[in-house]
Amino acid sequence: MATTNPRAALDVSRRNFLRLFAAASGASLVSRDPRAALAAEPKRGGTLRVGFYIEAATMDPHLSGSKIDRQVYHNIYEPLVTLDVKLGIKPGLAESWQQPDSKTVVFKLRRGVKFHDGTDFNAEAARFNFNRMKTEPKSVRKGEVASIDSVDVVDAYTIKINLKRPDAALLATLTDRAGMMVSPKVAQEKGSELERNAKGAGTGPFEFVEWVKDSHLVIKRNDNYWNKQGGPYLDRVRYRPIPDDTVKLQSLQTGEIDVMDYVQPRDVAAVKADRSVVVVDVPSLADFAYQLNHTRPPFTTKALRQAVAYALDLEQIVKGVWLNVGVPANGPIPPTSWAYDRGIPPIKRDLAKVKAKLAEGGQPGGFTFTMTTNNIPINVQEAEVIQAQLREAGITMKIKLVDSATLISDGNNKNFEMISYQWSGRPDPDGNTYQFYKTTPGTSLNWSGISNPQIDALLDKSREVSSQAERKKLFSELTKILQDELPMVFIVHPIEPKAFSPKVQGYEPIPDGMMRFKDVWLA
Amino acid sequence: MGRLVLRRLSATVPVLFLVTAGVFLLLHLTPGDPIDVMMAESVDATVKETLRRELGLDRPIHVQYAAWMGRLLQGDLGRSIRNGEPVIENVSRRLRPSLELAFFAMTISLLVAFPVGIVSAIRRNTAIDRAGATFALFGICMPNFLLALLLIFFFGVTLRWLPISGYTDPLEEPWNGVRSLALPAITLGLALAAVVTRTLRSSLLEALTEDYVRTARAKGLSEWRVIWGHVLKNALIPVVTVLGLQLGTLIGGAVITEYVFALPGVGRLVVDAVFARDYPLVQGVVLLIAVGFIVSNLVVDVLYGWIDPRIRSR
Amino acid sequence: MLRRAARARLAPFGAAVVVLASLVALAAPLVAPYDPLAQDLGATLAPPGRGHLLGTDNVGRDVLSRVIWGTRVSLLAGLVSVVLAVFAGSALGLVAGYCGGRVDGVVMRVMDAVLSFPPLVLALALGAVLGAGLTGVLLALGVVYTPTFARLMRGQVLSIAARDYVDAARALGAPAWRIAARHVVPNAINPIIVQASLSVAFAILAEASLSFLGLGIQPPQASWGSMINAGRGYLQQAPWIVFGPGAALFVTVVALNFVGDAVRDALDPRTRE
Repeated sequence: MATTNPRAALDVSRRNFLRLFAAASGASLVSRDPRAALAAEPKRGGTLRVGFYIEAATMDPHLSGSKIDRQVYHNIYEPLVTLDVKLGIKPGLAESWQQPDSKTVVFKLRRGVKFHDGTDFNAEAARFNFNRMKTEPKSVRKGEVASIDSVDVVDAYTIKINLKRPDAALLATLTDRAGMMVSPKVAQEKGSELERNAKGAGTGPFEFVEWVKDSHLVIKRNDNYWNKQGGPYLDRVRYRPIPDDTVKLQSLQTGEIDVMDYVQPRDVAAVKADRSVVVVDVPSLADFAYQLNHTRPPFTTKALRQAVAYALDLEQIVKGVWLNVGVPANGPIPPTSWAYDRGIPPIKRDLAKVKAKLAEGGQPGGFTFTMTTNNIPINVQEAEVIQAQLREAGITMKIKLVDSATLISDGNNKNFEMISYQWSGRPDPDGNTYQFYKTTPGTSLNWSGISNPQIDALLDKSREVSSQAERKKLFSELTKILQDELPMVFIVHPIEPKAFSPKVQGYEPIPDGMMRFKDVWLA
Repeated sequence: MGRLVLRRLSATVPVLFLVTAGVFLLLHLTPGDPIDVMMAESVDATVKETLRRELGLDRPIHVQYAAWMGRLLQGDLGRSIRNGEPVIENVSRRLRPSLELAFFAMTISLLVAFPVGIVSAIRRNTAIDRAGATFALFGICMPNFLLALLLIFFFGVTLRWLPISGYTDPLEEPWNGVRSLALPAITLGLALAAVVTRTLRSSLLEALTEDYVRTARAKGLSEWRVIWGHVLKNALIPVVTVLGLQLGTLIGGAVITEYVFALPGVGRLVVDAVFARDYPLVQGVVLLIAVGFIVSNLVVDVLYGWIDPRIRSR
Repeated sequence: MLRRAARARLAPFGAAVVVLASLVALAAPLVAPYDPLAQDLGATLAPPGRGHLLGTDNVGRDVLSRVIWGTRVSLLAGLVSVVLAVFAGSALGLVAGYCGGRVDGVVMRVMDAVLSFPPLVLALALGAVLGAGLTGVLLALGVVYTPTFARLMRGQVLSIAARDYVDAARALGAPAWRIAARHVVPNAINPIIVQASLSVAFAILAEASLSFLGLGIQPPQASWGSMINAGRGYLQQAPWIVFGPGAALFVTVVALNFVGDAVRDALDPRTRE
């Protein structure tokens, strides 16, 4: 792949995607969206009130480790490249890009873009940002830009990124925080103050106004936004943290907010029947699974891991617990991804096989183990259903509920037998696989402790190969091996429904779940 | 009076020391790590190590405690790990909604408890008294999370009279602020009203048996005049005690109410901080809650002296 | 007096409810119409009716059966935590009151510290240290209620120890433990029983509150509080998940209060008159 034409890549993935998408959500999103009928002219003005489950942690994208921060960032900052509805990569602050060889990427930057503080966005600014991510002591982006060796300024609007090793996932990585550009002037002048106050820092369609902790965060329209097509239309967006899902939904129903970030599966049916609320199903990149500890009995024995996998009835879990707000998972790669292989079915329940595997694993009479999971209602419910299914297969599972801090600590220390892992997902399949299955000593997200030379080779190769078709084959092979080796039992790729007041128009659901309000307006 | 206050304050020093040391120990025994929670989706071990070193989390427990104590003695409560904000700012921001909530809850409880308690005492052993007693029992036995859910269900969702979540500062927007605090204040106030009603009724009844009441009655004063003129002030002491003891609980302990109604108060701060393993924040809040508890007890004692001069001389 | 009469009528009612609840708790396997853990994902959130008197929950379990089994957990939690507190508190109070001086100071300062410690933080931390489960919550509640009993016992010891017959016993050279066992404890026991009987109701409420926050009993077992917590997300679609255990909790706590009041009337000399 000498030259990447973003359009061409996009077309391929679009066709692919539409099919998968229909499979994922059971219906076409566009036709189900009642607002499609209202093809009215967008109106300017108004304040959009958004309810989120938790408060943002920091306004500095290079220091951010919390998912919720990104929701705000995608409206005030812009990355070099962005995702479209079909997960294709499209130009962002970079107009185009080329890959002269597998270890070099050249970005042509957009001209005439200004940060909110009035300074220019240019090649120097971009280089400043990459250096900051790599050298700032508190930078959380270091791992994401680890493959970048150096950044050269070719001319005022061209940068050349030199890689240490081929990195096929780099472009996808740059669609989020690692590609977001902060005004060098603001970053230098504000220092750590940027964490609380992002005035002037971004280039996005909205500007930071104020953040009153525990109360609200307000952004306003950037009237000098470089892209004159479409929005921004809204005067302001006001974010509010509402930690309780039920209360958040009720706030939407009573008109206290206009948008909520996530509807619990249990509420979806009721909310869809409610005319005062519009639900949009946004398929996610997420991968919900349970890691099995390969370093400690009973799951050192492969046959016992398989016994558990064959004892689970994923269809029933997805239907009964997730109420079909998701699809059974065949592996770590979600149906929204171009790398998803529909030819590989999820593992099917087979009690005869369970019996055989139990015997093979030396436990013909069944065995007992403990599942560690997060203390949130849907996890508890899922655990209870899994427990019942395993009992039917002669396997006894105990449930240990913990808070997330303990969950992470137990996972990192491999202090578990089976543990819940809910990964929010990344646009490139690399982000859903490499760090979980690659042999790594010490702490990593490879909690299962799997170490398999075949898997390692596949993962490394998938980073070096740049052809999407070829990478897809590698990931299919990987998925098959994972179904056999079982570092995790895969459960569900959830859909993340968002809900709106009917007056909210123009929202474009992108599977990364981020709510970009550029083209949103209030009827 | 000054000496009493001083003596009481000096007695609290060891208590506060025990509280902080206890929290510190418990927190560090709890599995989990603030940096891991903060960067749940990052595996970059070097970044995490740098942060831990910078925050001093790699040092042994007693060294960390000593360092914390040292800063505390200079009046510095440290900074939150999660958002880098000074603990004192964090807490003082959260204190306002909690104090306002406590104030409204107490107001509601007094508005309910005084009429009910007084009428129950005067018309003791009548149907009214029994109704009052039933009400009090209801308030005491009703779990506040259940009451909160029911209030949300009826007033917020079904009738849509009041907002069910969020907080508006009544000092900035009086009408919206009072509305935003209405349901949580009722949740807390009702339980409190029940306690105050019971206390008031029984202390009124006790006071009514005193000699001076008999004298007053003998003079031909009406029952109402007797109560207003003589009994009420004397019956107030137990009520003040109850309110004072409850104030500490209201500010730090309204966790569930604050949680259900999404109020950014101190109670929720503690729980969130514990879940995030934000050590300095938990330490700071617990210390301040303990101080608040002790001070409210002290205020109760001082008020005693004001209401009943006989105590002051002791 | 009329009130006493009213109480006299209420006390048997309270006692009846408490006895009934205890029997239900003991005989849960016999009384419950269904297996409290048996799921039916085809019949989730079924409203109360013929098949299920109190409806079914989010995985199709019978709410009534779970309320019945939850009685065990709730009553147990109330009893065990209060018993723990009674023993720990009485022992500490006895030691503090009897030894006096520095021991007294240390013990009572620790008790003050516990009192000014937010109970929820204690429960959270204990739960995390001991591993989630009922044990952590029971211990935490036990610790929370300990200072009450310690103060009560210490007060009793101080007043009783000053009485003549104790002085006499001491003069006769009776060892401290015998004086405590013979004279102090029997005299202090009444107020402790009164306080304990009232505390059980609050301990049950506290266990429910902690379960409501997700601490305490581990699934698939249920306590009333954890059922209410699991059901709150369904308040609009299936309020019976909350109402069943909510009603059980409320009625039990009311009944325990009646009993507690009656016990106080019977044992507390101040109300006996």
